[in-house]
Amino acid sequence: MRFGWTADQVALREAVRDLLASACPPSVVRAAWPGGDESSVEALWSALTGMGIPGAVGELGLDEVDLVSLLEETGYAAVPLPVVETAAVAAPLLAATGDPGGHLPGILAGRTRVAVAGGLVPYGRRATLVLHLDGPAAWLSTLDGAVDETTVDGSLAAVRVPKPSGEPLTEDAELVGLAADRLALGAAAQLVGLGRRMLDLTVGYVRERRQFGVPVGSFQAVKHHLADALVRLEFAAPAVYAAAWALAGRRPERGRDVSTAVLLATEAAREAARTAIQCHGAIGYTVEYDLHLYAKRAWAVAATCDTDAHLARVAEALDLKGAAA
Amino acid sequence: MDGDLAAFRAEVRDWLAAHLTGEFAPLVGAGGPGREHELTELRVAWERELGAAGWIGLGWPVADGGRGADIARQVVFFEEYARAGGPGRLSHIGEYLLAPTLVAYGTPEQRRRFLPPIARAQELWCQGYSEPEAGSDLASVRTTAVRDGDTWRITGQKVWTSLAHIAQWCFVLARTDPSASRHRGLSYLLVPMDQPGIEVRPIVQLTGTSEFNEVFFDGAVTAAANIVGAPGDGWRVAIGTLGFERGVATLGQQVGFARELDAVIAAARADGRLADPVHYDRLVDAWIGLRVLRYHALRTLGESAGANASVAKLLWANWHQRLGELAVDEPGAMLAEGEPYALSDAQRLFLFTRADTIYGGSNEIQRGIVADALLGKVGRR
Repeated sequence: MRFGWTADQVALREAVRDLLASACPPSVVRAAWPGGDESSVEALWSALTGMGIPGAVGELGLDEVDLVSLLEETGYAAVPLPVVETAAVAAPLLAATGDPGGHLPGILAGRTRVAVAGGLVPYGRRATLVLHLDGPAAWLSTLDGAVDETTVDGSLAAVRVPKPSGEPLTEDAELVGLAADRLALGAAAQLVGLGRRMLDLTVGYVRERRQFGVPVGSFQAVKHHLADALVRLEFAAPAVYAAAWALAGRRPERGRDVSTAVLLATEAAREAARTAIQCHGAIGYTVEYDLHLYAKRAWAVAATCDTDAHLARVAEALDLKGAAA
Repeated sequence: MDGDLAAFRAEVRDWLAAHLTGEFAPLVGAGGPGREHELTELRVAWERELGAAGWIGLGWPVADGGRGADIARQVVFFEEYARAGGPGRLSHIGEYLLAPTLVAYGTPEQRRRFLPPIARAQELWCQGYSEPEAGSDLASVRTTAVRDGDTWRITGQKVWTSLAHIAQWCFVLARTDPSASRHRGLSYLLVPMDQPGIEVRPIVQLTGTSEFNEVFFDGAVTAAANIVGAPGDGWRVAIGTLGFERGVATLGQQVGFARELDAVIAAARADGRLADPVHYDRLVDAWIGLRVLRYHALRTLGESAGANASVAKLLWANWHQRLGELAVDEPGAMLAEGEPYALSDAQRLFLFTRADTIYGGSNEIQRGIVADALLGKVGRR
């Protein structure tokens, strides 16, 4: 059995990568920091909507396997908008619950963006609705009473929302669990993409940067760092794709596989950030250079993942939990 | 510990208790890793307070304006300073880099001229080594200095220059003989910062704050006599500056590390993570690592550093970077924040420690030195 992409999946991924290369260059990520020009961020959402991404699951008929590499590309570009939350989590959940509030048309038209509440609400400032996933229940709230929170990643546009009350969506634990897994899968996919972006930036830099009369990338000490980071990413990526496959097939082991993907992707992205900063030298420690935009996003997305809970879930699936207690 | 040393410790402790208070009270705990930008003016005043009391240049000969204190006393001073929460230092570049360089390579006139103002913190120094094209490859500096009557005239650019925005003087590695091979054409010049030919521009760091700078020299001048060593001898002097024994300062730095580790442990206790055996293991490892740093520093105290300085740098940089990661190792630690870009202590420590393995000679350069000098050079570089 070959565990690979179809021609359509490859084409979709490339189309999204091309779109984001022009619609979400580093200048747009920078513009998403406080004091930046939000209109370029809005234009990015229009471009994503133009490609049908917010409604990809319903309208384009994509499943998680189709979606995962698309989400990876949104990580690669550090899209400063709730694209995972809206396209991969909220839209499918609304479709499955019959969309009692009638929000789907707005999502498809690009008017409605949905953020998801954890402790903080990433991208809350750029969302029109907040989705709450809490145990067996899911509900939607507005952003009334939301308080702005700046974070280490200033482009995250996070808010804190008051004790949620709002529009109940479902109390079907299966559906809510599926939504939470899609959110975790999206984070893992974005982390792999962010890791690849940092690695690409670094490879580009060490080719150009010359010391001792040669590109610094010609030194084995630098090459080995980069090779290690790549191996980590290549070790994480298939686990992320396998988790997407398990989710798409509603396979019973999907929880274990999503958690495995998150654990590998958070480590791979952190390692890529560490390597990228190290191989850049001091320039990578400045904010005038773009690397920090991607490193801070990676740290932020990794921080939204409750890795302890994911470890526990894998342990439980392996029947290790009882033995430890 | 002998009685004299105990008395000295009491003296340091009493002095700090009496002085790190009142107008200086806000400085307790300020200016540490990731907070280098804090309260700069007050910290300059504090340096003068220290200098007036003779705490700068403690180990220098009395003739050079120091107190001739032995190593044990210097260690005690650093330990007590860190224990009292003394703020991050601003005079250390003059005290620990330039001063020993002048003692080793300078003229008696240069020692008389420059050491006393360092000891009194009347003149702060910065280090003009790195350039955009000369980082790890320091010998490729392009900044030039040409003799012009009784002066040197300097043109070029330095970068990552810590504290250039507050320093009165800079020791500059510049090319004075363009025809000589790259290590041989360099000279070590002492250049006053307050002049029209010098422009300092801050560089904003990952932390959102700024401690280092770009420094532009556009025909800046310094007196012909302000050269350390002979023209063309600058490489030897510059490398000498980097190799002076710093074990004493290292022990002080470790007291600061211990405080940071205590804070990380306290945070873990507060949020219940001490119960997590994995986290607990990592905290124990961090404590053990800090003991090793201490033993290493004590073992090498008083020895000329040479390549051992690279061993020490690799030990502490990696340890401190891991501590930064441990500080934010809980879900959400990299997210939560109050004021706009007012980072938490843990976030600041994490971000700052990203640079530990880069500045002052990257890990890769240090490993190269260790391999060549301690293992014996094998084959081509």
